Amino acid sequence: MRVKIRGLIKPVALNSVALLLLIFIVGPLLWVAVASIQGERELLRQPTRLIPQNPTLDNYEYVFTGKIPTDLDVKGNTLRSRISQEARLIPASLKNSFLVATSVMLINLLIGPLAAYTFSRMKFRGKTASFNLILGSRLLPVIAVAIPYYVIIQSLGLLDTHLSLILVYLVLTLPFTIWFLTLYFNGIPTDFEDAALIDGCSTIQSLTRVVIPIALPGLVAAAAFAFMTSYNEFLFARFLTQSIDSQTGPVLIAAIAGNPDASYSLISVSMTLGLIPPLLLALLLRRWLTEGLSTSITFR
Amino acid sequence: MKIGRRAYPYLSILPVLLVVALFAIYPIIYAVRTSFYRYLLIRPNDHPFIGLDNFIEVVTSYYFRNSIQVTGIYTVAVVIGVILYGLGVALLLNSAIKLAGPLKVVILLPWALPAVVSGLLWKWLLNADFGILNSLLFSAGLIDDYIPFLAVPSLARLSLIMAFIWKEGPLVAIFFLAALQLIPDEYYEAAKIDGGGAWQVFRHVTLPLLRPVLLVVVVYETLTAILTFDTIFVMTGGGPGDATALISWFAYAEIFKSLDLGHGIALAIIIAAITLVLILFYLRILRTEETEV
Repeated sequence: MRVKIRGLIKPVALNSVALLLLIFIVGPLLWVAVASIQGERELLRQPTRLIPQNPTLDNYEYVFTGKIPTDLDVKGNTLRSRISQEARLIPASLKNSFLVATSVMLINLLIGPLAAYTFSRMKFRGKTASFNLILGSRLLPVIAVAIPYYVIIQSLGLLDTHLSLILVYLVLTLPFTIWFLTLYFNGIPTDFEDAALIDGCSTIQSLTRVVIPIALPGLVAAAAFAFMTSYNEFLFARFLTQSIDSQTGPVLIAAIAGNPDASYSLISVSMTLGLIPPLLLALLLRRWLTEGLSTSITFR
Repeated sequence: MKIGRRAYPYLSILPVLLVVALFAIYPIIYAVRTSFYRYLLIRPNDHPFIGLDNFIEVVTSYYFRNSIQVTGIYTVAVVIGVILYGLGVALLLNSAIKLAGPLKVVILLPWALPAVVSGLLWKWLLNADFGILNSLLFSAGLIDDYIPFLAVPSLARLSLIMAFIWKEGPLVAIFFLAALQLIPDEYYEAAKIDGGGAWQVFRHVTLPLLRPVLLVVVVYETLTAILTFDTIFVMTGGGPGDATALISWFAYAEIFKSLDLGHGIALAIIIAAITLVLILFYLRILRTEETEV
């Protein structure tokens, strides 16, 4: 009997811990989403209500059409001055983020496997040195290279362009992609390629026709990492962008929230919109990401 | 298709090498050079050579001592916290409980967000006047007055630590989970037959086998912690006072608030040196680990 009760207590205790964890992980995300559908006045109540009394899409309507939310539209009221006009630029900034991150991801997929395949399968002079140079470049702290990067981008005449961000993010992502794919390719037996080479395939052909199809999960993970790194980056984007022509989501969101009397409901809207793409990606590619992360730590 | 077998390897890595060379070698030269000059951004055309003065001035300043102390405490707290949290989550995910499934679905979410957004998220949750945490604590009768979490030095530091654990914990959990799943069931069975309790099995079977992953996690998270910047930028701005002025923030403030590029770059070089020493140290441990096995 004692054993039976103990056997019941354990899963109940563990499940309660897991429930608390679920709330800790998802709670903050849910709260911004809930805050974004509340009016400003309701949001600024003390104590704030966990469940909104009058949920509204006014805040979203403002961001997309410019129609002032009724809750902020009080003449002579201080609330009206809290409207952050930058919030209207959020869709454009997210588009910038998306464009830049997608380009970086595609270029990674193009030149990453090419280099990784060489590092994984070939012997040539200077192999270790070049591999170490590529990986070592990633060890420079971001804050140390921010100013020199600015100088390079300025002298290339690329300030405030998508291209500047794409270049810099390639430097950030390529070393990881190449290291990761080299590991991944190392784990694939060479038998199929040997057969392909005997059949007269070139190196490129054996890469594209034999290795890449087998390594597809690894490529998906590498692509997702490159996309997320670029989508989420803040420091370089802040230095290298100057206007909405190239400003990315994180830069604009930080700017809106940095304003001391910005509207909380509009901040919540911009955060919610900024959250959606990476969260969707993480949910959709969960298996590949988990597998990729696991591979990166257990291979070596 | 006769580019020659000899040229192929070089051609295939050329694009990467070009990008990396431009963005790694030039910045190093630029940074080292600038660190020897008095370089004030308000006087762009006047920068005399001053030798090591930038380094000396930076290292002997009050702010440097403060930032080393703040960074040290923060790093130790965050690394211990994130490892305990990650290990706990990994053990839950690896168990047979019902909620392990849903937990697996959402665990990566915080890690996937921009650090700017997660920092703002926590700032907003902890807001002293309208934050939901204060509202909940107040409604539950646990506090009589709202707590200004980010205005009290010790609470601001704690808040930063919690935000870090929330964001970085998932990665650590996935790493530990990967290692846990590699441990064969027979090991546990053998340990149980030998009469080991749950704690003893964990202590003598699980923990030793997690060691290699633990090492990687410690070094990776130490580096991540030392270089924390985005979160501080949006959450505390180094404040209140200089309670959360980590070394990266200090370097940023020297350049963009004091407009002293020389000081900022000297600091950045010091940060780079610290991280390099850590990495070399880590590589050495890894090597001795491998020879032991």
